[in-house]
Amino acid sequence: MKTKGWILIVVCLVLALGAAGGCSKKRASTMPPGASGADANVRDHDWGSGKGSGYGEDGLTEEQRLARQREQAMSDLGQRIQFGFDSYELSQEARGILQHKADVMKATSGVRLVIEGHCDDRGTEEYNLALGERRARAAYEFLVLLGVSPERLSIVSFGEERPLVQGENETAWAQNRRDEFRAAY
Amino acid sequence: MKLKTLLFAALFVALLTGRAVAQGLTVDIHGPGQRKVNMVMLPPRPLNQGAPPAMSKTFEELVQQNLRFMPFLNLMPASTVPGGDPSKGVTAEDINFRPLQLARIDLTMTTGWEGNRLEARVYETFSGRRVIGKAYGDLTDASLPDVADRFCSLLMEALTGKKGFFTSPIAFVRRVGSAKEIFTVLPQGRALTQVTSLGGFNLGPDWSKDGNLLVFTHLNEERHSLGLWNRKTGEVKLFREGLGNTVISPAFTPEGGVAVTLNKSGSADIYMLDSSFRPRGTIASSGFIDVSPAFDSTGRVMAFTSGRFGGPQIFVLNRDTNEVKRVTFEGNYNTSPSLSPDGRFVAFSRQTSNGHRIILTDLSSGQERQISFGPGNDEDPAFGPEGYYIAFTSNRSGQYRIYLTTRHGDEPILVPTGPGDATSPAWDTAAGSD
Repeated sequence: MKTKGWILIVVCLVLALGAAGGCSKKRASTMPPGASGADANVRDHDWGSGKGSGYGEDGLTEEQRLARQREQAMSDLGQRIQFGFDSYELSQEARGILQHKADVMKATSGVRLVIEGHCDDRGTEEYNLALGERRARAAYEFLVLLGVSPERLSIVSFGEERPLVQGENETAWAQNRRDEFRAAY
Repeated sequence: MKLKTLLFAALFVALLTGRAVAQGLTVDIHGPGQRKVNMVMLPPRPLNQGAPPAMSKTFEELVQQNLRFMPFLNLMPASTVPGGDPSKGVTAEDINFRPLQLARIDLTMTTGWEGNRLEARVYETFSGRRVIGKAYGDLTDASLPDVADRFCSLLMEALTGKKGFFTSPIAFVRRVGSAKEIFTVLPQGRALTQVTSLGGFNLGPDWSKDGNLLVFTHLNEERHSLGLWNRKTGEVKLFREGLGNTVISPAFTPEGGVAVTLNKSGSADIYMLDSSFRPRGTIASSGFIDVSPAFDSTGRVMAFTSGRFGGPQIFVLNRDTNEVKRVTFEGNYNTSPSLSPDGRFVAFSRQTSNGHRIILTDLSSGQERQISFGPGNDEDPAFGPEGYYIAFTSNRSGQYRIYLTTRHGDEPILVPTGPGDATSPAWDTAAGSD
């Protein structure tokens, strides 16, 4: 059951990433359901190219290749987005990242995404909990707008409780003002 | 005619003086400025023969530690009394008040011991009036702190008319490993108790009016829940049903309801919950962020933080008229309001270029006053039951700790809370509503 699920995910990811690279949604959706993830991957190198040495090269077992693909999927879904001080507005860059996530989500069944809102520690605790909530919700609403089913998404605000990096400088603060995304099957 | 006027004036002065003497020495903690009251503790004496027991010294030290929390009291060493100890016993007839008056000492405390029985008294030096007189029997080393607290509470009440300071716990959040748990402690650092062991983050505690319950936010990997601690049973319950994933800054209303920030319709609004902790409707809603409700003792006034005009600012809602009034106009980041029990003052933290500072606004005049001065961040003010002390958290020492100041901005006093960052103080104000 688990292996079957993996194969399906890989197929979907390939489709999604193909779509991100300029493929139309229609083409992605017409992929035959019986196509194996491995075949699809061999034919479509571009989503993995340049990301890791030896990706798709000979000598990798099917299992290793699937593991790498899964890693890539998790990495794509897990990519953080950043916010300005006391802001929950999505930047152009954040929108691009979310667009990509939406494509992956739509092409992948069975994956749920927890969106975590975080703040830097310059504000105060309760307001930051609310601000983190608005940050998580901004991503949630954008993903829903792009067609991701709300049932597959949930949000939780950590406020300033879980900084990504320690430090009292703008670099640290900027990294801590973020949404994190936890994908789970 | 002239004589008549003079006589009348003399009578008037006599009446005034008489009244002042009858009233005794009091400290107006709510007045604009404060006078310092000088106090001396005379050495402990045996009530009969022999020497006072070893615990007499401990009791003296405990009282001295407590008196540090009364910024209007100036504890003077017994050596400042000219001619040494002016007493032969512990009651007024055995005390020569003259040298005490010369040393400008307002209050004199005596302690007399007979085995493990204590008699403690405080006299007004200028009138010889006994302010407090109490006897405590069967004392042990373990019971001494409690007796010192009770005695100092009485002294506080006798001087200020307000009780509860030494016996009203402060709830707060303390870091325990990677988690944050709720603790309680008396302001002088005694009776430190961990009340939750839930793991995750347990934040923003608030007391019910009778001091029997605490509400707080419980945060785990997936969502927030509303936490409830029962002081009598020690039981902790979590509520999720109908609240959604976001539960921020719950606060009890004096009538027993709970106001809390939820997100039920896309924005963080303040809701009222029913008796089973399900949302009943909004009480503050702007489509942006509304958070941190705080009530006065009547519950008719609610202060809160709102981002409705951009950055967070403090607002006050009159629950009878539903009128919402903006309180803060200075600064871009004003959060965490606490209302004095009488509803006259709101304390909050304001972000300045040097960090957060505690500001006090008189709601009747709109006048602001900064009452904390860092360094670092001073956050999360909470009024005590008497509306005089204000607890807050500060990282002035490098680590977040709980401190006490007064509404006059007196030098902050550290509340001992053990290891780990201590934040979000909330004071049980039940004693103030008796």
